[in-house]
Amino acid sequence: MAVPAGPEQAREQEQSGCYVYGIVPADVEPAADVAGVGDPPARVQLVRQGSLAALVSEVDLTRRLGTPEDLRAHAQILDAAVIEVPVLPLRFGTVMGSKDAVAAGLLAVYQEAFAAALKQVDGRAQYMVKGRYVEQAVLAEVLAEIPEAARLRQHIQDKDPDATRNARIRLGLIISNAITAKRAADTRALSEVVGPHCVASVVREPTHELDAVHLALLAEITRQDDLDQALSDLASDWAGRIEIRLLGPQAPYDFTPALPPLRIR
Amino acid sequence: MSPPGGGGPSPTGLADVIETILDKGLVIDAYIRVSLVGIELLTIDARIVVASVDTYLRFAEAVNRLDIAQEKEGLPGLVGGSRPGKGTRITKGVLQGVGDKLREYAESERRPAPRRPRSREGY
Repeated sequence: MAVPAGPEQAREQEQSGCYVYGIVPADVEPAADVAGVGDPPARVQLVRQGSLAALVSEVDLTRRLGTPEDLRAHAQILDAAVIEVPVLPLRFGTVMGSKDAVAAGLLAVYQEAFAAALKQVDGRAQYMVKGRYVEQAVLAEVLAEIPEAARLRQHIQDKDPDATRNARIRLGLIISNAITAKRAADTRALSEVVGPHCVASVVREPTHELDAVHLALLAEITRQDDLDQALSDLASDWAGRIEIRLLGPQAPYDFTPALPPLRIR
Repeated sequence: MSPPGGGGPSPTGLADVIETILDKGLVIDAYIRVSLVGIELLTIDARIVVASVDTYLRFAEAVNRLDIAQEKEGLPGLVGGSRPGKGTRITKGVLQGVGDKLREYAESERRPAPRRPRSREGY
Protein backbone atom coordinates (compact mmCIF):
# COMPACT_ATOMS: atom_id res chain seq x y z
CA MET A 1 0.00 0.00 0.00
CA ALA A 2 1.37 3.42 -0.87
CA VAL A 3 2.38 5.62 1.96
CA PRO A 4 0.30 8.81 1.85
CA ALA A 5 2.09 12.11 2.06
CA GLY A 6 2.18 13.44 5.58
CA PRO A 7 -0.66 15.80 6.43
CA GLU A 8 1.84 18.47 7.43
CA GLN A 9 3.45 18.45 4.02
CA ALA A 10 0.15 18.48 2.18
CA ARG A 11 -1.10 21.44 4.15
CA GLU A 12 2.08 23.39 3.51
CA GLN A 13 1.72 22.83 -0.21
CA GLU A 14 -1.83 24.06 -0.25
CA GLN A 15 -0.99 27.24 1.58
CA SER A 16 1.37 28.47 -1.07
CA GLY A 17 0.56 29.06 -4.72
CA CYS A 18 2.14 30.57 -7.79
CA TYR A 19 0.59 33.87 -8.88
CA VAL A 20 0.89 34.41 -12.65
CA TYR A 21 1.06 37.95 -14.06
CA GLY A 22 1.70 37.35 -17.71
CA ILE A 23 3.51 35.52 -20.47
CA VAL A 24 6.72 36.82 -22.08
CA PRO A 25 9.36 35.36 -24.41
CA ALA A 26 11.89 33.10 -22.66
CA ASP A 27 14.87 35.26 -23.64
CA VAL A 28 14.10 38.08 -21.22
CA GLU A 29 16.33 38.83 -18.31
CA PRO A 30 14.60 38.75 -14.96
CA ALA A 31 14.83 42.16 -13.34
CA ALA A 32 16.12 42.05 -9.81
CA ASP A 33 13.88 42.76 -6.84
CA VAL A 34 10.57 43.52 -8.47
CA ALA A 35 7.84 43.45 -5.85
CA GLY A 36 4.67 41.57 -6.68
CA VAL A 37 1.29 41.07 -5.06
CA GLY A 38 0.80 40.03 -1.44
CA ASP A 39 1.73 41.45 1.91
CA PRO A 40 4.64 41.49 2.24
CA PRO A 41 5.03 41.57 -1.56
CA ALA A 42 6.81 38.53 -2.96
CA ARG A 43 9.63 38.88 -5.48
CA VAL A 44 8.67 38.49 -9.13
CA GLN A 45 10.43 35.61 -10.89
CA LEU A 46 10.50 33.97 -14.29
CA VAL A 47 9.42 30.43 -15.03
CA ARG A 48 10.79 29.31 -18.40
CA GLN A 49 9.53 26.58 -20.68
CA GLY A 50 10.65 26.31 -24.29
CA SER A 51 10.48 29.69 -25.99
CA LEU A 52 8.15 31.11 -23.34
CA ALA A 53 8.37 32.39 -19.80
CA ALA A 54 5.82 33.42 -17.21
CA LEU A 55 6.17 36.30 -14.77
CA VAL A 56 5.20 34.80 -11.42
CA SER A 57 5.55 35.26 -7.69
CA GLU A 58 4.85 33.06 -4.71
CA VAL A 59 1.56 33.83 -3.02
CA ASP A 60 0.08 32.91 0.34
CA LEU A 61 -3.18 31.12 -0.39
CA THR A 62 -4.53 31.74 3.09
CA ARG A 63 -4.69 35.47 2.48
CA ARG A 64 -7.13 36.98 0.07
CA LEU A 65 -5.78 39.26 -2.62
CA GLY A 66 -7.43 42.40 -3.91
CA THR A 67 -6.13 45.37 -1.96
CA PRO A 68 -5.35 48.50 -4.00
CA GLU A 69 -1.66 47.64 -3.62
CA ASP A 70 -2.23 44.17 -5.10
CA LEU A 71 -4.15 45.60 -8.03
CA ARG A 72 -1.56 48.27 -8.74
CA ALA A 73 1.33 45.80 -8.45
CA HIS A 74 -0.29 43.51 -11.02
CA ALA A 75 -0.84 46.36 -13.47
CA GLN A 76 2.53 48.02 -12.90
CA ILE A 77 4.52 44.85 -13.47
CA LEU A 78 2.77 44.20 -16.77
CA ASP A 79 2.78 47.81 -17.93
CA ALA A 80 6.49 48.12 -17.15
CA ALA A 81 7.19 44.91 -19.06
CA VAL A 82 5.39 45.94 -22.24
CA ILE A 83 7.83 48.78 -22.86
CA GLU A 84 10.68 46.29 -23.12
CA VAL A 85 9.19 43.02 -24.34
CA PRO A 86 5.98 41.65 -25.78
CA VAL A 87 3.73 40.48 -22.97
CA LEU A 88 0.39 38.71 -22.66
CA PRO A 89 -1.31 39.90 -19.47
CA LEU A 90 -3.34 37.44 -17.45
CA ARG A 91 -6.47 38.52 -15.65
CA PHE A 92 -5.92 39.60 -12.07
CA GLY A 93 -6.07 36.75 -9.59
CA THR A 94 -4.73 33.86 -11.64
CA VAL A 95 -2.98 31.42 -9.32
CA MET A 96 -1.59 27.98 -10.06
CA GLY A 97 -0.30 25.33 -7.69
CA SER A 98 3.44 25.66 -8.26
CA LYS A 99 6.13 26.81 -10.67
CA ASP A 100 6.16 23.31 -12.14
CA ALA A 101 2.44 23.57 -12.79
CA VAL A 102 2.99 26.88 -14.60
CA ALA A 103 5.71 25.35 -16.79
CA ALA A 104 4.03 22.04 -17.55
CA GLY A 105 0.36 22.92 -17.22
CA LEU A 106 0.30 26.37 -18.78
CA LEU A 107 3.37 27.27 -20.88
CA ALA A 108 3.85 23.82 -22.39
CA VAL A 109 0.16 23.32 -23.05
CA TYR A 110 -0.39 26.64 -24.80
CA GLN A 111 3.11 26.95 -26.34
CA GLU A 112 1.89 27.56 -29.88
CA ALA A 113 -1.00 29.84 -29.01
CA PHE A 114 1.14 32.00 -26.72
CA ALA A 115 4.04 32.21 -29.17
CA ALA A 116 1.70 33.29 -31.96
CA ALA A 117 -0.02 35.85 -29.74
CA LEU A 118 3.31 37.27 -28.55
CA LYS A 119 4.38 37.72 -32.15
CA GLN A 120 1.21 39.69 -32.79
CA VAL A 121 1.83 42.16 -29.98
CA ASP A 122 5.60 42.45 -30.40
CA GLY A 123 6.59 46.12 -30.42
CA ARG A 124 3.02 47.14 -29.64
CA ALA A 125 1.24 48.37 -26.54
CA GLN A 126 -2.27 49.17 -25.48
CA TYR A 127 -3.43 52.75 -25.03
CA MET A 128 -6.71 53.77 -23.47
CA VAL A 129 -8.59 56.82 -24.65
CA LYS A 130 -11.20 58.00 -22.18
CA GLY A 131 -13.45 61.00 -22.70
CA ARG A 132 -16.00 62.50 -20.37
CA TYR A 133 -18.67 65.00 -21.40
CA VAL A 134 -18.58 68.37 -19.73
CA GLU A 135 -22.04 68.19 -18.19
CA GLN A 136 -23.15 71.77 -18.76
CA ALA A 137 -21.95 71.72 -22.34
CA VAL A 138 -23.61 68.46 -23.27
CA LEU A 139 -26.88 69.47 -21.60
CA ALA A 140 -26.83 72.74 -23.50
CA GLU A 141 -26.30 70.80 -26.73
CA VAL A 142 -29.29 68.61 -26.05
CA LEU A 143 -31.51 71.60 -25.25
CA ALA A 144 -30.42 73.28 -28.46
CA GLU A 145 -30.94 70.20 -30.59
CA ILE A 146 -34.17 68.79 -29.18
CA PRO A 147 -37.11 71.23 -28.96
CA GLU A 148 -39.09 68.96 -26.65
CA ALA A 149 -36.21 69.02 -24.14
CA ALA A 150 -36.17 72.82 -24.18
CA ARG A 151 -39.96 72.91 -23.71
CA LEU A 152 -39.83 70.47 -20.80
CA ARG A 153 -37.09 72.50 -19.19
CA GLN A 154 -39.28 75.60 -19.28
CA HIS A 155 -42.16 73.57 -17.93
CA ILE A 156 -40.27 72.34 -14.84
CA GLN A 157 -38.45 75.58 -14.17
CA ASP A 158 -39.02 76.84 -10.63
CA LYS A 159 -41.81 74.36 -10.04
CA ASP A 160 -42.26 71.86 -7.25
CA PRO A 161 -40.20 68.79 -8.21
CA ASP A 162 -42.91 66.41 -7.00
CA ALA A 163 -45.61 68.14 -9.03
CA THR A 164 -43.47 67.97 -12.18
CA ARG A 165 -42.07 64.50 -11.60
CA ASN A 166 -43.38 62.99 -14.82
CA ALA A 167 -42.09 65.87 -16.91
CA ARG A 168 -38.72 65.55 -15.21
CA ILE A 169 -38.51 61.85 -15.90
CA ARG A 170 -39.44 62.47 -19.52
CA LEU A 171 -36.81 65.21 -19.80
CA GLY A 172 -34.15 63.04 -18.19
CA LEU A 173 -34.99 60.15 -20.50
CA ILE A 174 -34.63 62.40 -23.55
CA ILE A 175 -31.25 63.58 -22.28
CA SER A 176 -30.09 60.06 -21.49
CA ASN A 177 -31.05 58.85 -24.97
CA ALA A 178 -29.44 61.89 -26.58
CA ILE A 179 -26.18 61.25 -24.71
CA THR A 180 -26.23 57.60 -25.80
CA ALA A 181 -26.55 58.75 -29.41
CA LYS A 182 -23.79 61.33 -28.99
CA ARG A 183 -21.56 58.71 -27.41
CA ALA A 184 -21.96 56.49 -30.46
CA ALA A 185 -21.26 59.37 -32.85
CA ASP A 186 -18.25 60.64 -30.90
CA THR A 187 -16.86 57.11 -30.60
CA ARG A 188 -17.10 56.79 -34.38
CA ALA A 189 -15.30 60.11 -34.79
CA LEU A 190 -12.57 59.02 -32.41
CA SER A 191 -12.17 55.68 -34.18
CA GLU A 192 -11.68 57.48 -37.47
CA VAL A 193 -9.08 59.79 -35.99
CA VAL A 194 -7.01 57.06 -34.35
CA GLY A 195 -7.59 54.43 -37.06
CA PRO A 196 -4.47 55.29 -39.09
CA HIS A 197 -2.30 55.20 -35.97
CA CYS A 198 -3.28 51.88 -34.46
CA VAL A 199 -3.46 48.27 -35.55
CA ALA A 200 -6.64 47.41 -33.66
CA SER A 201 -9.20 48.99 -31.39
CA VAL A 202 -11.93 47.83 -29.04
CA VAL A 203 -14.85 49.93 -27.84
CA ARG A 204 -15.37 49.49 -24.12
CA GLU A 205 -18.69 49.86 -22.35
CA PRO A 206 -19.25 53.20 -20.65
CA THR A 207 -18.64 53.17 -16.91
CA HIS A 208 -20.22 56.54 -16.14
CA GLU A 209 -23.36 58.23 -17.43
CA LEU A 210 -21.32 61.14 -18.79
CA ASP A 211 -18.74 58.93 -20.50
CA ALA A 212 -18.26 60.14 -24.05
CA VAL A 213 -15.66 57.74 -25.45
CA HIS A 214 -13.93 54.69 -24.03
CA LEU A 215 -11.61 53.03 -26.49
CA ALA A 216 -8.75 50.57 -26.11
CA LEU A 217 -6.13 50.74 -28.88
CA LEU A 218 -3.27 48.51 -29.87
CA ALA A 219 -0.51 50.62 -31.44
CA GLU A 220 3.15 50.43 -32.35
CA ILE A 221 5.12 51.86 -29.44
CA THR A 222 7.44 53.63 -31.88
CA ARG A 223 4.42 55.42 -33.38
CA GLN A 224 3.14 56.75 -30.10
CA ASP A 225 3.97 60.32 -31.11
CA ASP A 226 1.65 60.10 -34.10
CA LEU A 227 -1.13 58.85 -31.86
CA ASP A 228 -0.43 61.67 -29.42
CA GLN A 229 -0.60 64.24 -32.17
CA ALA A 230 -3.85 62.94 -33.61
CA LEU A 231 -5.46 62.88 -30.16
CA SER A 232 -4.14 66.33 -29.34
CA ASP A 233 -5.82 67.73 -32.42
CA LEU A 234 -9.05 66.00 -31.47
CA ALA A 235 -8.76 67.30 -27.90
CA SER A 236 -8.58 70.81 -29.32
CA ASP A 237 -11.68 70.22 -31.42
CA TRP A 238 -13.50 68.88 -28.40
CA ALA A 239 -12.27 71.47 -25.93
CA GLY A 240 -15.02 72.61 -23.58
CA ARG A 241 -17.23 69.75 -24.66
CA ILE A 242 -15.37 66.50 -24.02
CA GLU A 243 -12.31 66.09 -21.86
CA ILE A 244 -10.09 63.28 -23.01
CA ARG A 245 -7.36 61.38 -21.30
CA LEU A 246 -4.81 59.06 -22.83
CA LEU A 247 -3.49 56.25 -20.67
CA GLY A 248 -0.59 54.06 -21.62
CA PRO A 249 1.49 52.41 -22.77
CA GLN A 250 -0.11 49.43 -21.07
CA ALA A 251 0.08 45.68 -21.53
CA PRO A 252 -2.41 44.58 -24.22
CA TYR A 253 -5.21 43.59 -21.82
CA ASP A 254 -7.96 44.00 -24.41
CA PHE A 255 -6.04 42.23 -27.16
CA THR A 256 -5.24 38.83 -25.72
CA PRO A 257 -6.46 35.81 -27.66
CA ALA A 258 -9.17 33.51 -26.46
CA LEU A 259 -7.41 30.27 -25.63
CA PRO A 260 -8.55 27.00 -27.12
CA PRO A 261 -10.30 24.83 -24.55
CA LEU A 262 -7.94 22.58 -22.67
CA ARG A 263 -7.99 18.92 -23.55
CA ILE A 264 -8.11 17.03 -20.31
CA ARG A 265 -5.88 14.04 -20.50
CA MET B 1 -12.46 68.86 -16.29
CA SER B 2 -8.72 69.16 -15.86
CA PRO B 3 -7.82 70.78 -12.58
CA PRO B 4 -7.68 74.52 -13.23
CA GLY B 5 -4.17 75.63 -13.92
CA GLY B 6 -2.96 72.10 -13.47
CA GLY B 7 -2.67 70.92 -17.03
CA GLY B 8 -0.79 67.94 -15.69
CA PRO B 9 -0.65 64.44 -17.00
CA SER B 10 -3.48 61.96 -16.67
CA PRO B 11 -2.51 59.62 -13.88
CA THR B 12 -3.80 56.09 -14.03
CA GLY B 13 -6.24 56.00 -11.16
CA LEU B 14 -7.25 52.93 -9.23
CA ALA B 15 -10.59 52.90 -11.05
CA ASP B 16 -8.72 52.70 -14.38
CA VAL B 17 -6.68 49.80 -13.06
CA ILE B 18 -9.68 47.94 -11.69
CA GLU B 19 -11.77 48.06 -14.83
CA THR B 20 -8.82 46.84 -16.84
CA ILE B 21 -7.22 44.05 -14.86
CA LEU B 22 -10.39 42.53 -13.44
CA ASP B 23 -12.23 42.49 -16.72
CA LYS B 24 -9.55 42.01 -19.37
CA GLY B 25 -6.54 39.83 -19.97
CA LEU B 26 -6.03 36.17 -20.63
CA VAL B 27 -8.33 33.85 -18.78
CA ILE B 28 -6.79 30.52 -17.95
CA ASP B 29 -8.85 27.38 -18.03
CA ALA B 30 -10.40 26.81 -14.62
CA TYR B 31 -9.19 23.24 -14.74
CA ILE B 32 -5.54 24.21 -14.37
CA ARG B 33 -6.10 27.24 -12.21
CA VAL B 34 -5.94 26.89 -8.46
CA SER B 35 -8.28 29.73 -7.67
CA LEU B 36 -9.48 33.10 -8.71
CA VAL B 37 -8.46 35.03 -5.67
CA GLY B 38 -11.15 36.87 -3.75
CA ILE B 39 -11.46 40.59 -4.27
CA GLU B 40 -11.93 42.62 -1.13
CA LEU B 41 -12.99 45.81 -2.81
CA LEU B 42 -16.60 46.83 -2.54
CA THR B 43 -16.76 49.22 -5.44
CA ILE B 44 -16.49 46.86 -8.35
CA ASP B 45 -20.16 46.39 -9.11
CA ALA B 46 -20.48 50.06 -10.04
CA ARG B 47 -18.88 49.47 -13.39
CA ILE B 48 -21.80 49.25 -15.73
CA VAL B 49 -24.04 52.17 -16.48
CA VAL B 50 -27.69 51.34 -16.09
CA ALA B 51 -29.94 54.29 -16.76
CA SER B 52 -32.71 54.52 -14.20
CA VAL B 53 -35.40 56.91 -13.03
CA ASP B 54 -32.84 58.31 -10.60
CA THR B 55 -30.54 59.08 -13.50
CA TYR B 56 -33.36 60.81 -15.37
CA LEU B 57 -34.33 62.91 -12.37
CA ARG B 58 -30.72 63.87 -11.84
CA PHE B 59 -30.34 64.95 -15.47
CA ALA B 60 -33.57 66.97 -15.22
CA GLU B 61 -32.35 68.71 -12.10
CA ALA B 62 -29.00 69.45 -13.77
CA VAL B 63 -30.85 71.02 -16.69
CA ASN B 64 -33.01 72.98 -14.28
CA ARG B 65 -29.88 74.41 -12.68
CA LEU B 66 -28.22 75.31 -15.99
CA ASP B 67 -27.06 78.88 -15.85
CA ILE B 68 -29.46 81.17 -17.74
CA ALA B 69 -26.73 83.71 -18.43
CA GLN B 70 -24.71 81.04 -20.10
CA GLU B 71 -27.67 80.21 -22.30
CA LYS B 72 -28.13 83.84 -23.28
CA GLU B 73 -24.56 84.09 -24.41
CA GLY B 74 -25.57 81.62 -27.01
CA LEU B 75 -25.35 77.89 -27.19
CA PRO B 76 -23.10 77.90 -30.24
CA GLY B 77 -20.42 79.47 -28.09
CA LEU B 78 -20.65 76.63 -25.69
CA VAL B 79 -21.00 73.93 -28.25
CA GLY B 80 -18.70 74.83 -31.05
CA GLY B 81 -16.80 77.79 -29.66
CA SER B 82 -13.12 77.73 -30.34
CA ARG B 83 -10.99 77.79 -27.25
CA PRO B 84 -7.56 77.22 -28.64
CA GLY B 85 -5.85 78.03 -25.37
CA LYS B 86 -7.69 75.36 -23.54
CA GLY B 87 -7.21 72.81 -26.25
CA THR B 88 -3.53 73.35 -26.18
CA ARG B 89 -3.40 72.80 -22.47
CA ILE B 90 -5.26 69.53 -22.67
CA THR B 91 -2.99 68.48 -25.44
CA LYS B 92 0.08 69.14 -23.37
CA GLY B 93 -1.42 67.18 -20.56
CA VAL B 94 -1.88 64.22 -22.84
CA LEU B 95 1.62 64.41 -24.20
CA GLN B 96 3.19 64.81 -20.82
CA GLY B 97 1.06 62.03 -19.47
CA VAL B 98 2.54 59.49 -21.77
CA GLY B 99 6.05 60.89 -21.64
CA ASP B 100 6.12 61.01 -17.87
CA LYS B 101 4.85 57.50 -17.63
CA LEU B 102 7.52 56.25 -19.96
CA ARG B 103 10.20 58.01 -17.98
CA GLU B 104 8.73 56.84 -14.74
CA TYR B 105 8.95 53.27 -15.90
CA ALA B 106 12.40 53.70 -17.35
CA GLU B 107 13.66 55.05 -14.06
CA SER B 108 11.54 52.93 -11.80
CA GLU B 109 13.61 51.05 -9.31
CA ARG B 110 10.71 49.45 -7.56
CA ARG B 111 9.44 47.56 -10.54
CA PRO B 112 12.08 47.48 -13.23
CA ALA B 113 10.92 45.88 -16.41
CA PRO B 114 12.32 42.61 -17.54
CA ARG B 115 14.84 43.32 -20.25
CA ARG B 116 16.11 41.47 -23.20
CA PRO B 117 19.76 40.64 -23.34
CA ARG B 118 19.61 40.11 -27.08
CA SER B 119 18.12 42.07 -29.90
CA ARG B 120 14.49 41.62 -30.83
CA GLU B 121 15.56 39.82 -33.98
CA GLY B 122 17.13 37.18 -31.79
CA TYR B 123 13.76 35.99 -30.62
